[in-house]
Amino acid sequence: MNSRSRYVWAYFMIAPTLIGTLVFWGWPVLQSIMLGFQQSENFGLVNHWVGFDNYVKLFRDEEFWQNLRNTLYYVVLFVPITLILSTIFAVLLNTKIKGLSIYRVIFFLPQVTMPAAAAMVWVVLFAQDFGLVNHLLGTRVAWLSNSNYAMFVLVIVGVWGAIGLNMLLILAGLQGIPKSLYEAADIDGAKRFNKFRYITIPMLTPTLFFTSIILLIGATQIFDSIFLIIGKTNVALPSVRSLVYAYYQNSFVYFNPNYGAAIINVLLLINLVLTGIQFAFQKKWVVYD
Amino acid sequence: MAKRNKFSFMLATVFTVIALFSAACSNNSTNAPDNSPNNTAGEATDAPKKNVTLTYSIWDKIQQPAMEAIAKEFTAENPNIKIKVEVIPWGDYWTKMSAAAPSGTLPDVFWMHGGQFVKYASGNFLEPITGKVQAGEIDLNNYAADLATIYTLNGENYGVPKDFDTIGLAYNKELFDQANIPYPDDTWDYAKLAETAKQLSQPDKGIYGFGAKLDTQTGYWNDILANGGSILSSDLSKSGYDDPASIEALKARYQMILDGASPTHQQMTDTEATEMFKSGRLAMIFDGSWRISDIDSSEIIKGKWDWAKLPSGKVKRGNIINGLGNVMSAGGKNKEEAWLFLKFLGSQKAAEITAEMGAAIPAFNGTQDAWLTSRPHLNLKIFTEQVADAIPYPSGSESYPVWFAKEPEIMSQAWGGAIAVEEAAKKVAEMMNQAITEAK
Repeated sequence: MNSRSRYVWAYFMIAPTLIGTLVFWGWPVLQSIMLGFQQSENFGLVNHWVGFDNYVKLFRDEEFWQNLRNTLYYVVLFVPITLILSTIFAVLLNTKIKGLSIYRVIFFLPQVTMPAAAAMVWVVLFAQDFGLVNHLLGTRVAWLSNSNYAMFVLVIVGVWGAIGLNMLLILAGLQGIPKSLYEAADIDGAKRFNKFRYITIPMLTPTLFFTSIILLIGATQIFDSIFLIIGKTNVALPSVRSLVYAYYQNSFVYFNPNYGAAIINVLLLINLVLTGIQFAFQKKWVVYD
Repeated sequence: MAKRNKFSFMLATVFTVIALFSAACSNNSTNAPDNSPNNTAGEATDAPKKNVTLTYSIWDKIQQPAMEAIAKEFTAENPNIKIKVEVIPWGDYWTKMSAAAPSGTLPDVFWMHGGQFVKYASGNFLEPITGKVQAGEIDLNNYAADLATIYTLNGENYGVPKDFDTIGLAYNKELFDQANIPYPDDTWDYAKLAETAKQLSQPDKGIYGFGAKLDTQTGYWNDILANGGSILSSDLSKSGYDDPASIEALKARYQMILDGASPTHQQMTDTEATEMFKSGRLAMIFDGSWRISDIDSSEIIKGKWDWAKLPSGKVKRGNIINGLGNVMSAGGKNKEEAWLFLKFLGSQKAAEITAEMGAAIPAFNGTQDAWLTSRPHLNLKIFTEQVADAIPYPSGSESYPVWFAKEPEIMSQAWGGAIAVEEAAKKVAEMMNQAITEAK
């Protein structure tokens, strides 16, 4: 086989995935970028180009800035907490203890639970009148409709849901660390914490880097817990409403897909910049051996 | 040799995948013989009727049994047409429909709401039935209160009226008896409602006199109208929320929460006010005629509740009449069959089934009496009597879907205590006026 026909074969072999990605991912992304510069009529069957009109309107919209602040606030709380807790649980579950797989299943369970069902349980737990949280704390706080607390509830629910998968990723990273390094450290008489600090953490940085990017991108897209737990007639909604929630509202409830697309395009840009920054800084802390 | 082996392995894999795909495809087509005309061509001798399945989308789960009964009756008359009744909850209904419309996947026949009609009709997504009306296949004068005009745009008819609804005051007789207070009647005004609600409230037991919920059609719109305010100006060009009479009515309703005569907004968000009424924790609530069978299904208050007219306000007794229509998609594959079903939905027979099952007040003239007696233990005539007091549901403009979706977000800020009622009302007015201007 010459090299050309090999390329043809290679593309042929990846075609199922490639076509799927282009049709179900690439095309919608392109379309939503286009929608942001258009004004649509008749359910999107007629579109006029309007340049940056939607963005001018967006940047003058107080609500947009509030939503952006809410989203970033959530990211700042959610990402570090999830990363730290996932690492701790992964390290704990990387030891040889009894019932190890049971623990792993328990921690992974939120990942396979239906988000809507889980959200309903959280709503009951945090309910003001008969909620378990208020019962245990002996308080009568309206967790879900108080603008000071609603965001913390969302972070708790988000962390609870995210630990499982990230723990698994980090666990895989931990098991990829060569045993010989620890054996060498043992011979040198290293203490347990020092082994963690100087072997585990550095060797884990590629995994941590990967999970932090995934977490960050995921966190900026928070929507379902706001939709399900807070709800649209909640007085606390303005203090937790995220960009994606605003996107949903504008595109599918107010029937203004162009304004919605403008919001989501700004988010796309933010994510690109944030991921770029992470890649730029990775040289400072990520160790590839 | 090794290279060659790899190559043939690849080839084999690719062919296997292709084979699997095509097998899956052919499987699909053999699984659905109902739609293929070949299959039925043999059995149909005189009239080559093909077997079709139509989708009929509705948003009210409570009416599902009645709609299925009608569909069954229709299939009995037209054995080749099967109907799949699909319930999409109100909260998702228009989101789904707005995605289905441009992609040409609207259900064959579906419920239409006056507020959404203009968008779908002006986009040519609905099949006009004007020709059928002129041909005398259906007579739109059969339907009460000019309901057919809701679904008319630029002289074209699109919808067949299904039902209409008005609002009533539901009360829990047991709670009134315990407090030795006479039941509500048509002499009541809003002052009496507020006063009685206070007397009936026992917040320590979780029992409240009235559910002063954040709601439009079954909530403060009635208060606003009774107080002489308006929701929209009569030419639909301006919001009435900033009318002092409207603000006064909104404030009066919110005051009932402050007085402890009603549960708080958060409590009514956690548990819908109607559900509280069903569990005997509310003495009174405004609700629509479409909730009758739902409320009556509660074992807790069954036989212990009834309906009264809404209280009268400073100016009059407020009420809102709305009528749903059945429409058919312009992009459906089986439009002939869909029309047959649509016509049947508008028939006296279908109206009678609706009436007997107590699902909704049927629009077909003369069948309402059957509905009134569908639940003899309830005073249902208040709903038909209040038609005279009622104004049509304030939809019918292109801006309606926009402002109606934004309205609760602003009003909930007031109901939750974050901003003053007056401020929220003015914000709503501003938002509505802007939406109206933008839609022009």
